[in-house]
Parts: sequence; structure tokens; C-alpha cells
Amino acid sequence: MPNQYFGDYITVLVFMAVGAIIVGGAVVAASLLAPNHPNKTKSEIYECGINPVGGGWSQSHIRYYIFALLFLIFDVEAIFIFPWALKVESFAEAGMGGFIFVEMVIFIVILLLGLVYAIRKGVLRWE
Amino acid sequence: MNDWLTQAENWAFILIALPMVLGAWRSVTSRNVVHSVLFLVITLAASAALFLLLGAEFVAWSVVLVYIGAVIVLFLFGIMITRAPLGMETELSHSNQTKLGAALVSGALFALITVAVITGFGETEIVSNPTRTSEIGQSMFERFVIPFEVVSVVLLAALIGGIVLARRDPAEPGDSSSSLGGAQSAHVTAEGGEA
Amino acid sequence: MIDYHALAPELILAGTVMAVLIVDMLPVRKHWTAVVGLLGLFATVVPILTLGFCESLDFCDYSGSREMFGGSYVIDAFSLALKGLFIGSAFVAVLLSVGYLESNRFWQGEFYFLMLASVLGALVMASSRDLVTMFVGLELVTGPTFLMAGWRKGEARSNEAALKFFIIGVLSAAVLLFGMSLVYGVTGELTFTGIRAGSVGVLDGDLSGLFIIGVLFTILGFAFKVSAVPFHFWTPDTYEGAPTPVTAYLSVISKTAGFVGLLAICYLAFGEVTTLWGTGLWVLAALSMTVGNLIALRQTNVVRLLGYSSIAQGGFILVPFGAAIAADVTGSDLEEAFFATVTYLVIYAFMNLGAFGVVIAVGNRLRSAEIKDWAGLFSYAPGLATMLGLFFFSLAGIPPLAGWFAKFVMFRSVLASGSGWAGALAVVAAVNSVIAFYYYSKVVVSAFMEKVPDGVPVAEIREQRTAPSLQFALVLTTIGVVVIGFYPTLISGLAEAAKTFASGF
Repeated sequence: MPNQYFGDYITVLVFMAVGAIIVGGAVVAASLLAPNHPNKTKSEIYECGINPVGGGWSQSHIRYYIFALLFLIFDVEAIFIFPWALKVESFAEAGMGGFIFVEMVIFIVILLLGLVYAIRKGVLRWE
Repeated sequence: MNDWLTQAENWAFILIALPMVLGAWRSVTSRNVVHSVLFLVITLAASAALFLLLGAEFVAWSVVLVYIGAVIVLFLFGIMITRAPLGMETELSHSNQTKLGAALVSGALFALITVAVITGFGETEIVSNPTRTSEIGQSMFERFVIPFEVVSVVLLAALIGGIVLARRDPAEPGDSSSSLGGAQSAHVTAEGGEA
Repeated sequence: MIDYHALAPELILAGTVMAVLIVDMLPVRKHWTAVVGLLGLFATVVPILTLGFCESLDFCDYSGSREMFGGSYVIDAFSLALKGLFIGSAFVAVLLSVGYLESNRFWQGEFYFLMLASVLGALVMASSRDLVTMFVGLELVTGPTFLMAGWRKGEARSNEAALKFFIIGVLSAAVLLFGMSLVYGVTGELTFTGIRAGSVGVLDGDLSGLFIIGVLFTILGFAFKVSAVPFHFWTPDTYEGAPTPVTAYLSVISKTAGFVGLLAICYLAFGEVTTLWGTGLWVLAALSMTVGNLIALRQTNVVRLLGYSSIAQGGFILVPFGAAIAADVTGSDLEEAFFATVTYLVIYAFMNLGAFGVVIAVGNRLRSAEIKDWAGLFSYAPGLATMLGLFFFSLAGIPPLAGWFAKFVMFRSVLASGSGWAGALAVVAAVNSVIAFYYYSKVVVSAFMEKVPDGVPVAEIREQRTAPSLQFALVLTTIGVVVIGFYPTLISGLAEAAKTFASGF
């Protein structure tokens, strides 16, 4: 079992290494082959041809934060669905399919209520 | 020592632990908050890899999905919505005295836990015994049904409370919902968009 | 499979929590959310009663304690008594909030939603007998309170309160979780009974170091939650800055939930290693009483005074256990200590909620919680001043008010255990009762005897009426404080609850 487990992940590792080599190789090859003439204007921030004003750091609106928050909450919800999905079948075979299904439905409905709340109160509207 | 180096797991451990420590160190010492957050990504990724090495698959991928995927994004947004550019702010840096105190406390804690772990486990070899995600599902729906459902209420409460605290108040929060959300839109904030 | 009758209180309250949120989304007046919440709390009492008096009911076929999920979740007399306490206090806390929220244009539906969700966490904690359930329950208790503490969004004070509370709360949760993970790692068990069985002899083995750190961190985490000295720093600022109904909630329900978790973990899970935490509890009790009271002496603000006084009261609640451990009391002899603590928690809930009710009512008129502004309160608001006297004297433990009985059973349990260390703790408690009497009576005397300071619009205040919900809450708590004081036998049923818990030890 452990060897099977690590074997699986070694496959993943090899895959990632090949990917890294291809991308890294392309970058190295490009830097070797491409002509290189740096100057000041080239390294400026591109802003549709207008001269950039102010720093690169500006305050963003808090509504982005609410979207990030929603994303986080539903991300955590998704995490709980994986172990459930792996177990539905074996629970159903043991005659507890209804139970495990209802549990997850309750879990999702409770969180969906949050989404309904957000929509109903208009925080998702982009003003 | 020679014995120790012959095992592949130990090499994997070193390869994971070094960037982890480096990332943690830089995320504390970095003077730019955004860099701190990005170094934290390295640390979190390395800790996910450590969990994989220990056979805790589910925990590892939870760390990747939730922490690297979502919490870091929330961190970055949290930094971006603050008013002043915090980039190289010196006000954020602590005095040497505070640094010394923090170093003492964390050093003492580190020493305490290290000593306890070494006396506790010493030469014990870790028997790698992967916990598959389905086993977690099994115990989740057999033993921990109540915490599982309670977690959804915790998440919902965080969601609702977070929305209330983060959103702009409409003119009359106490009114019926018709006026909620239809707030005045004449506000001036520097948004990060370009032409 | 799942005993729905035993879970009914949690299920009904969970339904209420969702119903409050749904009502908030409907186009109706916001005070309906409070009404739905109160009705739901009321409905939750029904299954608690049917479970509690199961023997005398025809349709109820169980008796004693019911265990579910392999001993992770237990419904017995002890947990039922605490659930009743949580529901009752939550009922009063919601009543306290109604007028406050409406007078200041706050978000209302969401507030009741968060408060009831937090109460749901307290119910889960009362029954949980394993680390995972306990931790998730505790998170549900504290999570919403962070948000409620910052409910006065525009005010720096409230933001500060929420932020301090949040940072300390998250730190303590992290410490607690780390401790729990070490305990689990060493014993390999999550249920309290399993941990207890697994911890036999662990102190002599190699893993003793890790186990000691685990136990200490777990207890430390809870000490933050109950704001025992020296882990109390967040309390006064949070109490002062948070909206007053939230402060009342924090000082009663969230604190009681912390005590429940602390006691259950100490006695059920760490029962074999009392040497590790026995002295700790003694020190926490003595320090909390003394430091809380001494700092309360110097307060000029009523809310801060009540904040420090609640730290001190937390010390009194710990006294029976500090004494019992010091005297090596174990087994069913602990009954007395558990009875004393549960009684104290019930009475404390009544008097503290009442005291905060008065603070809300007076603060709403005077727009100030400074003691000097409260001088002469009796001359223009005699009813409120009388209630202020009632609750403060009850907190001080003056007979025949309920606080007297709480102190009485506390001292009785300490003296029953009868050892030198227990006696010493009793002396500390006695001295502290005297100090506490001084600062409580100072406020009351000033409200009754002194002249009204200039600038208080007396005529205007005479005109103002207290919100009906707040009146109702004050009447409820007053009745509780007076009736329990005269007929303490009313709550002697709690002895039954104490017995079931102690017998498990």
C-alpha cells in the first residue's frame, strides 16, 4: 500500500519535472537566442500609451473582498464534498444511502442560504 | 547518519523542509507585505508536500485548495483594500525590543517542543501508512456527523457576518429590505483599474 | 441510529437560526426576526423538558444518559441543565438586544442570526464528549461573537473591541488546537473516555513531555475563553467597546460555554493526570478573584467595572474545583463541587444579565456609562435605580438575594473538602467577597444618595420609557434573583445534574 501510494505521487512528480524542464528550457533558450537591448522606456509600466501617473499601488474597492470571502467559504465547502463523494456508494450499499445523501443536502442547503442572502441583499450587484 | 541518508524519504524531506524554513523566515523578515504573503505560499506549499510525504493526502490537498487557493487571495485583497500603500512602510516595522521579545518567546517555544518531540520519539522510525480520503469520509459520516453539520453553520455565520461588516451601510439599515442594497452610489474611491 | 428526540433541542434551534435568516430576507419589518428567534428559543425548551423529565412521561422510553456516535455526543442530566441555562440566558440576551438595536439603526436580522448560531454552538458544547465536536462547538460559540463585538461599525471603540477579541480569540483557538492535536497524538484517542483510558501511565513514559504540553495548551486555550487571570487582557477593552447586549452575551453565555468545556475536558479527559492541572486551577481561581476585584476597585466606568467583576466572578466559579483538586477529592464526592459550580453559573447568569439590562436602560437615557454621571439616579429613575441595587447587591452576595445562595454553596463545597489548601482558597474567596462588596455598593450608594450632577437632563429622562422588551428582560431577571434568593430549593434539582456528571468521573 505505501509503495503504491508513493508510486502514484512519483508519477505526478515526474510529470511536474517534465513540465518544468519544458517551460524552463523555453525561457533559457529565449534568453540565449533573443536580442537584448534594455532601455528605460521599455521597462516602464504600460498604460495604453499614456504616461503612467502615481505609484503602482492603489487602493481597491472593498467589494472585491466580499467576493474573495464568498470564494473562501465555498472553497471550504467543496473540500468537504470530496470525502463524501468517495463514500456515497459504499454507504448506499450498506443501506444508508438516504442518510448520507440527506446529510450532504443539509450541509449544502445551509451554505446556499448564505448565497441567497448575498444575492437578496444586493451585495453581489456590481454598482 | 549514513543510514539516514540512504533513504529516499529523508532526501525528499530535506528538499521540502529547506524551502519551507526559508519561506517562513522571509515571510517574517520581508519588509514588503505582499512579498510576505508570497513567501507564505512557499511555506504552505511545502507543508502540503510534507503532509503528502506523511501519507495525509486529504490534508495536503486541503491546504493547497483552501490556504494557497483561497486564504492567500483573501490576504492579498485584505492588503489591497487598505488605504495607504503598505509596501515599504516603516511604521509597520517593530522596534528592536519587540523583535527581541518575539524572538525569545518563539525560540523558547521552539526549544520546548523540539525537546519534547525528541525525547518522545527519538529514534522511532515513521511507518508510512497513508490515510486515504475515503477513510476520512467513513469516519466523518459515522462518528462526526454533528461536527460536520455544525461546520456548515460556522461557515454560514462567517459569511453573513463578514458581509455585514465588510459592506457599505445603506442609508437606513433598519428599514425593510427594499431599501437595502440600493445604496447611494456617489462615492469616490481610487479603484485599481486602468483604461 | 440517530436519536432524534435527544437531538431535538439542537435541531429546533438550528431550524430557528435558519428561519431568522429567511425572515430577514423577506420584505417584513425587521423586528419579526427577533420574534421568530424568541419563539424558536421557547420551542427549544420543550424537548429539553421532555428529555429532563423522561421517566415520568409515557411516550419517552429512555432514562438516564443517552450516548450517540460512539460516546462522542452525550445527553445526560448535566448537559440538559446547561442547555436549559443557555437557552434561558439567550432568551434574555435577545430581549436585551431588541431595544438597543432599534434605537441605533443597526443591522438586526443578521445580529439575531449570529447570536442564535452562537447559542447553538453552546448547546453542542454542553453535549460534546470528544475533542473534534468540542472544538467545532467552541468555534461556533466564539466565531459569531467576534463579529457581533464589531457591530457598531462606524465607531473606533467597537472596531478595537472586535479586533482585540478576534486576535486573542484566534490565538487561543490555535493554542487549544495544537494542545488537542498533541493529546490526540499521544493517546491516539479523540473521545474523552478514550483519552482518559489512554493516558494511564503516560506520564512515566517517553511521551510524557508531549502529553504535558498538550494538556497545558488545551487548558490554556480554555483559560483565554473564560478570561481567567492572567489570560484576561482582552476582556475589559472588548466589553467596553462592544455593544452592551453583546457584552452581556459574552460575559454570560460565551463564558459559561468556556467553563463547560474546561470542566468536561479536565475531569473527563484528563482525570488521570490531575497533578498536571490541579494546582493550575487553584492558581487561576485565586488570581482571577484577586486581580479582577482589585482592578475593578479603580474603575470609573460601569461597563468596565462589570467586565472586571465578571473576571472575578469567573474566579469564584473555579473555586470549588481548585479546592476539590487541592483536597484530592475524587469520585462521587465531587458532586458537591459540580453542584456548587452549576448553581453559581445559573445564578450568575440571572444577575449579570440583569445588571447589563440596567446598564443598557440607563445608558440609553444618559448616553454615558461613567459612574459619576449615574449619581442620584434614584431621584429621577427610581425603578431602574432599585433594580441596579438589586442586581449589584446580588452580585456582591448579600442575603436574601440569589447571589447569596451561590456564594453559600461555593463556600460549603470548599469547606466540605476540608484541606489546608482548600481552606486557604476559602480565605482568599472571603477576602474578595468583601472587596467586591465595597465597589458594588459604591455604585449603588452613589446612585441612591448623591446629588444629580449638572448637565443631566432630568426632566427629559423622566419622560423616556424603557423599551418593552427590555422591561420584560429586567422583570424576568429580577424575579429570578429574588425568587431563587428566597427559595433556593427551586434549583436544587441541579444536584441531580451534578450527580450524573460526578458519577462519570
